Amino acid sequence: MRAERSTIVFNVMGYVVITVLTLLCALPFWLILSGSFSAEDDIIRDGFKLFPDHFSIDAYKSVFSNPAQIFKAYEVTIGVTVIGTVLGLFITSMAGYVLSRKDFKYRDKLSFFIYFTTLFSGGLIPWYIMIVNYLDWKDSYLALVVPSLLSAWNIILMKNFMKSIPDSIVESAKIDGAGEFTIYWKLILPLSTPGLATIGLFLGLSYWNDWFSANIFITTESKYPLQFLLYKILASAAVLKTSIAGNLGADFKPPAETLKMAVAIVVTGPIIFLYPFVQRYFVKGLTIGAVKG
Amino acid sequence: MSGFFKELAKNKVLFLMILPALLFFIVFSYIPMVGVYYAFTNFSFDGGLFGSEFVGLANFKFLFESGALYNLTKNTVLYNLAFIFIGNILQLVCAVFLSELAGKWFKKTTQSIMFLPFFISFVLVGAFVYNLFNFENGVINSLLRQLGMQPYDFYLHTAPWKYIIVFFNVWKGLGYGTVIYLAAIMGISDEYHEAAKIDGANIFKRIRYITIPLLRPTFVLLILLSLGGILKGQFDLFWQIVGNNGMLYDATDIIDTYVYRSLAINFDIGMGTAAGLFQSFFGFVLVVTVNWIVRKVQKDYALF
Amino acid sequence: MKKRFMKLMTVCIMLTLFTSMLAACGGSSGAGSEGAKEADAGTATTADGKPDTSKKVTLNWYLLGDAHADTPKVVEEWNKMLEKDLNTTVKLNFTTWNDWQTKYNLLLASGEKVDMVFASSWADFFKYSKQGAFLPLNDLLPTYAPETWKEVPEQDWKDVTVSGKIYAVPSTYPEYTPDGIVYREDWRQELNVPEITDLDSIEKYMDAVKTVKNVTPIKGKAWNEVNTLFHAYYDFKNIGGDSGVIVAKSYDTPRDVVAYPFTTEFEEWVKRMKTWADKGFWTSNTLSVQQEAGDFIKTGTGAVYWRNAPGAAGFITDIEKNHKDIKMGYFPFTRFHNYAVPNLGINNGMAIPKNASNPERSLMVLEKLRNDPAYYNLMTYGIEGRNYKFDDKGAIISPAPGQDPAKVTSYSIASWGWRYSKNDHPAANRWAGEDKLNEEFKAETKPDIFSPILMDYQPVKSQLAAVNQVYQQFGMPLMMGLVPDVDKALENYRSKLKAAGVDDVLKYVQEQVNAYADEKGLK
Repeated sequence: MRAERSTIVFNVMGYVVITVLTLLCALPFWLILSGSFSAEDDIIRDGFKLFPDHFSIDAYKSVFSNPAQIFKAYEVTIGVTVIGTVLGLFITSMAGYVLSRKDFKYRDKLSFFIYFTTLFSGGLIPWYIMIVNYLDWKDSYLALVVPSLLSAWNIILMKNFMKSIPDSIVESAKIDGAGEFTIYWKLILPLSTPGLATIGLFLGLSYWNDWFSANIFITTESKYPLQFLLYKILASAAVLKTSIAGNLGADFKPPAETLKMAVAIVVTGPIIFLYPFVQRYFVKGLTIGAVKG
Repeated sequence: MSGFFKELAKNKVLFLMILPALLFFIVFSYIPMVGVYYAFTNFSFDGGLFGSEFVGLANFKFLFESGALYNLTKNTVLYNLAFIFIGNILQLVCAVFLSELAGKWFKKTTQSIMFLPFFISFVLVGAFVYNLFNFENGVINSLLRQLGMQPYDFYLHTAPWKYIIVFFNVWKGLGYGTVIYLAAIMGISDEYHEAAKIDGANIFKRIRYITIPLLRPTFVLLILLSLGGILKGQFDLFWQIVGNNGMLYDATDIIDTYVYRSLAINFDIGMGTAAGLFQSFFGFVLVVTVNWIVRKVQKDYALF
Repeated sequence: MKKRFMKLMTVCIMLTLFTSMLAACGGSSGAGSEGAKEADAGTATTADGKPDTSKKVTLNWYLLGDAHADTPKVVEEWNKMLEKDLNTTVKLNFTTWNDWQTKYNLLLASGEKVDMVFASSWADFFKYSKQGAFLPLNDLLPTYAPETWKEVPEQDWKDVTVSGKIYAVPSTYPEYTPDGIVYREDWRQELNVPEITDLDSIEKYMDAVKTVKNVTPIKGKAWNEVNTLFHAYYDFKNIGGDSGVIVAKSYDTPRDVVAYPFTTEFEEWVKRMKTWADKGFWTSNTLSVQQEAGDFIKTGTGAVYWRNAPGAAGFITDIEKNHKDIKMGYFPFTRFHNYAVPNLGINNGMAIPKNASNPERSLMVLEKLRNDPAYYNLMTYGIEGRNYKFDDKGAIISPAPGQDPAKVTSYSIASWGWRYSKNDHPAANRWAGEDKLNEEFKAETKPDIFSPILMDYQPVKSQLAAVNQVYQQFGMPLMMGLVPDVDKALENYRSKLKAAGVDDVLKYVQEQVNAYADEKGLK
């Protein structure tokens, strides 16, 4: 019975801690949701409220003022995110796998070679020149996908996940005469689902949230991804109030404050759809079962 | 060198598999890295990167001459250490709980919700902070007044801001980091736990002796990965919360905000790059040192 | 271990060297194409002296800000005309307002092929010109933009001349943008306080608003209000753009350059501001918030807001339209010393980046755009009968009557760079006070002698960075009266400034001012 009591204690602790943290994360989001449906004036005067004093969908009207454009932007974002995530995951997992192989002589050196890029950077300008002047990707979807494919972080995390796969699997497969790529594709990948799901999630999120690439590379409006389009709406709303635009004849006065919140809500959409899907891959015992089978 | 070619011939498939990644980093990181040279020049559009006048270390002067560098470095390092350690430990705790609790629906929902702050921009975080702490009608001061207590003007005191900033940073990264640990836990074979259960180990013992040790490499790895950026700050976090409030800088100024202020009026590519290079160099030395120590202690945990 | 890292470092260094070589090659090929371009310019006229437009060209233009929903239509129409007249089309790009400074800098620093770009003194025109980002236009202007060359006033050309070369075509649109404050005039009447005419009346007004109305007068970000008021009240003039703590002591004594934190005026000012802050004219977190004071006026929780004159007009127009219960007044700070300074021409203008593929054609298009009303109206006001219509006085009604305002909005892009008063039309629904204000400014006008002083701070840039930092860390809270002990804070501020090297910066600015004053024959 001792074991059971400790389980109860553990469960009580667990539920309390997780519930408290969850509330801390949920409350601000609720406030944003409520704010996005509030009247602009109320937000400026009183700040956040649990429920809107005056219900208003003005902010959403501003966001969706041009529905055709928003839908196009969704298309671009989804396209870029899917392609980027799949391709990025493939290259990341290959690299991670190679670096996790203990018999691969240069793994430490190459790990360092990759990690080094997170330490030093030449800054924005040379990177921009590379992509625009040498690769000629200005206003091209390639500029949205390729430069964000890999990150040293993801590769090293991947390597770490794959390190926990027993060497014996590779060894026995080799004895069976399987090629390196086959081992990776047929054996390692299926055993790495939690890792793949994690890195895939991170990649997906970074593509989904990326407005900066579009900001500097994309000049055609129909190629704007969703995040950039939304940030553009926000930035214009903010600039309309500053003195630079003093002489901009603006009879379009978007509700700048509630707009920020509506944008946050619109942007967070994917997690609600994507995350439960990813969670399916966080299943314990997958690894061991496969090895035994 | 012949060793290298032998290795190449032996493992050519492996080399081919990692080649795309290497090419990527050469094209998008190593070649653009020539830009660090900006730090040593007086940039002009006529000359471009290599035609501009070479000025040696002159661009670094503004960092060192002010005398603020010590305090800035201290603040930046301490903030980052707090972010890294508190963040990672909390994420680890959450992951352990989430992996052991039974309620399926509860787990899924809470996990999703914990991810939400990741999507909240720092602009909105700044708005929250303002709404919570401002003197006139902030939530906390309104509460204090209602309780008949003296209101407290947060914006005139430096003390609370360290905690506020650390709290919001940890809060924002909670869901994201938890996923990593959760994935690592999923990689742990169930056999260990089953065996321990048969031996009569209770849940605390199992976590203490099985889960935690097996998560240690991931923990060390994440710390090591973060250490390289120890001098780089989350500019947006500090900027949106503190803004131009010089009164709070003793406690809240980090290198990024300092450089921003120094160059806001008269931006200079050379000086901006110089500051970045200083941060990089510091991080580089630190991470190489710590990695070397980790390697001595436990070779497997090292980053490279 | 050590050997391993040495090896790695060698690899890294080799890579860096290798790539530098690549980049260097890229650089030299760029220079080559520039040489070719000059040759082009020499042969680009036909026998009768008219520019040769036999080759069809597409130009790459960049404007600040956002496109309007109707921009694609407008550009299409425009290109039809252009193609007929000049065998040219323009691809009109926008930086959008996100982070536009970064993008602007990237466009110029990367050497992208851009044929024309918006340029302005407030977008670092002088710095970019001095560092060679733009193409000199002296030789091109008389040939490719003769009308513009003739019609832009001599003084305006001088203002865009840097080291003897013209780097932009300034707008020709004399405009006054002095600082000032808009305030709730209805409250002033209700509270029965005197009209705002000087600093004391401002204080009385805010005091009444705070004590009787219980409203924080400048809610949100109050820095601009206080800082501009300070400069205007003492007639401290910025030199060559924002010069931080270094100012000329008055318009009439341009050579008298000081670091204002060391003046008795500043001491007097910060003591007064301390009383203002203590009375609650703004909030204690005013330096941390980003929200504009104007937002609070609209919700009845604020009373005073810094605006320049056109900004005030825009703000008041908006209030009159959307908040009919509120009455606003405007107090331009020009009334402290009774003179107004018009903007430099290059407050807005157009420039050609040095890597442009077709600078000649680009100038020809600009010439058309500035001078031909058909081009000007289309690009500036949109499509006639849709986005706008002229009333009988030639003012703009927008959108055109009969259009659904929910679907068609008035056409507004950042068209400031080519504005020409000859072709410009005011809005029909503008604030009634605007014309009167402009009359007032015109009657007391004095030329801008401070903005054209060229500063690039190169020799003192690290001191300047340190001074700017000190200014923000210690100067701003002091200016806002947020420090507990003014005397101590002032002493600390001054000593920190000294340590940062404010004297070097002052000396540098003084030299520049002297050189300029000698050249212009100022006192």
